[in-house]
Amino acid sequence: MSGPVLEVEDLTVTIATPTGPLQAVRGISFDIRRGESVCLVGESGCGKSMTSLAIMGLLPPAAKRGAKRLAFAGEDLAKASARRINELRGDRMAMIFQEPMTALNPAYTIGDQLIEVHRRHKQQGERIARERAVYLLEKVGIASAAERLGQYPHQLSGGLRQRVMIAMSLMCEPDLLIADEPTTALDVTIQAQILRLLADLQKEFGVALLLITHDLGVVARVADRVNVMYAGEIVESAKVADLFAKPSHPYTRGLLDCIPIPGKTAPGEELGTIPGTVPSLIGGIEGCAFMGRCPLAQGVCARGAPLRHANETHAYRCIVEAA
Amino acid sequence: MSTTVSTLLEMRGVTRTFQVSQGLFARSRTLQAVDGVDLDVKRGEVLGIVGESGCGKSTLAKMLLGLLPPSSGTIRLEGEDVSELPRRELARRVQPVFQDPYSSLNPRRTLASIVSLPLEVQGVGAEERRERSIAMLDKVGLPRRFADNYPSQLSGGQRQRVAIARALVSNPEIVVCDEPTSALDVSVQSQILNLLMELRRELGLTYVFISHNLAVVEHIATRVAVMYLGRVVEQTTTAELFRAPRHPYTGVLLASVLTPEPGLGVPDAGMSAVPPDPLNPPPGCRFNPRCPRAFAPCTTQDPRLVSDGEAAVACHLYTQPQNAAA
Repeated sequence: MSGPVLEVEDLTVTIATPTGPLQAVRGISFDIRRGESVCLVGESGCGKSMTSLAIMGLLPPAAKRGAKRLAFAGEDLAKASARRINELRGDRMAMIFQEPMTALNPAYTIGDQLIEVHRRHKQQGERIARERAVYLLEKVGIASAAERLGQYPHQLSGGLRQRVMIAMSLMCEPDLLIADEPTTALDVTIQAQILRLLADLQKEFGVALLLITHDLGVVARVADRVNVMYAGEIVESAKVADLFAKPSHPYTRGLLDCIPIPGKTAPGEELGTIPGTVPSLIGGIEGCAFMGRCPLAQGVCARGAPLRHANETHAYRCIVEAA
Repeated sequence: MSTTVSTLLEMRGVTRTFQVSQGLFARSRTLQAVDGVDLDVKRGEVLGIVGESGCGKSTLAKMLLGLLPPSSGTIRLEGEDVSELPRRELARRVQPVFQDPYSSLNPRRTLASIVSLPLEVQGVGAEERRERSIAMLDKVGLPRRFADNYPSQLSGGQRQRVAIARALVSNPEIVVCDEPTSALDVSVQSQILNLLMELRRELGLTYVFISHNLAVVEHIATRVAVMYLGRVVEQTTTAELFRAPRHPYTGVLLASVLTPEPGLGVPDAGMSAVPPDPLNPPPGCRFNPRCPRAFAPCTTQDPRLVSDGEAAVACHLYTQPQNAAA
């Protein structure tokens, strides 16, 4: 495969609400190549999860997707039939959710669920599917994998359940893996293990990874490229080293100032804050969505913010050129 | 601040067990959620309590608040046994802030009425209640016009401000904060942390601050106790803990913190992945099956918490130093 695994151009998601259409995602564009980790980072309500559901074709009925281009391995997903999407999903594109307890079916054993994915897409028979399940459970660091196949989700800890989810997502050797806050519900020690595992497996299998998170620490350690989202838009996009070395959008800088960092921020010192709240996405937003909370805001921001380039891979949307 | 630091809250051998059902016909088993905790909270400090889920930190918080009696051991508030204090007096002096401001506020009461509830319990008259509640809401950054709003009209950060106002309105001595910012976005978390630090300075408060987020604890706590499977395995000043962690478990926790520094990759803390079964703790040191530095005595002898001035650690590496190099 030569081109990007995933191409997203001008993606929008609009949700019908009693008070009007809510523009959850407002025209975002990015792509992911084979073996690359791309992060979408932002706070609650920024549209990062809606983006992942839109790509997977899993949006709730009230939500509508629009896009200039949404392509997986060159194939136009917007034109693909529901049947074709079903073929791709779980096979070529897989997803890991935040809460493995709700994503796994409590009434079936781990083995049944792992094997079902493979049998449905590969039609290679039970024995091969079972072998693959055992192989992957071992790969994700689960001891006595063969016995685990007979266990139910409730018999496993949260960390183990998330490992099972990862194994399940890899059953059919997908080209694209979307992980939506995969470690948010886990303890820090388990989080590090799961993220290491994801990074190792990604290298080994050459999967394209789209990682959705609110945690800039996770972003820094896992991503190759980062898209910072605010109010349904990508406000800054850069290689990970560039983003942290030279955060250029005022929102990105604001977020970084909010986090205490052991050894860097002085204990007890006042932390940075971002005053105000996210504007309502119902109806529409005129101009820059961050204007009301931005320390650099000017009158012209109401007319929108131009896209600027710090270098050829680092772009941000702001009226002020970052120093 | 006075020069002699007095102990406000004193825990000695605090233990809490639960009977856990194993099924309809199986015998129930005993879970030791908190096991023999000795801990002091000094006036004016922020005692951080850290540890993984299931380590007993929230059970400990419930016992400090008098919401759950210890199975054995004593908790003393300025020398008085908490179990003998009238419920109302304990509630006035020790107040909670919980994790989820969506479930901890009554959706059918106005903010002023939510905040004034602790005063109502203390028998304060209606007019004074309202005045003090509005003043406290103002102090936490919610001006008077919010007083008659309902929680559903507020954001998560504003709700947590209400929970803080409710905790502070009766002028408590200790506020027990159980994961107070874990449900919040980072930009809101920093506002709440700033508020807590500011209120502490202004009102001379003492906090017990429970969190799984070590970066937050490092920022706000003055002293830290690390818990593992119901026990305190290390406690010392925050600066010392982060400079030179002594217990291997503390080391693993600190190594797992993902700071926003690119290029470092995801750390390998060197700990085995298998989490412990709290119903069936291993013999010897409870951390030994996962410990990167375990040696012979760890599988048989249970290490005691040994104090050394301000600091204390429960690990054989420090009591059997001839083996420490191994």
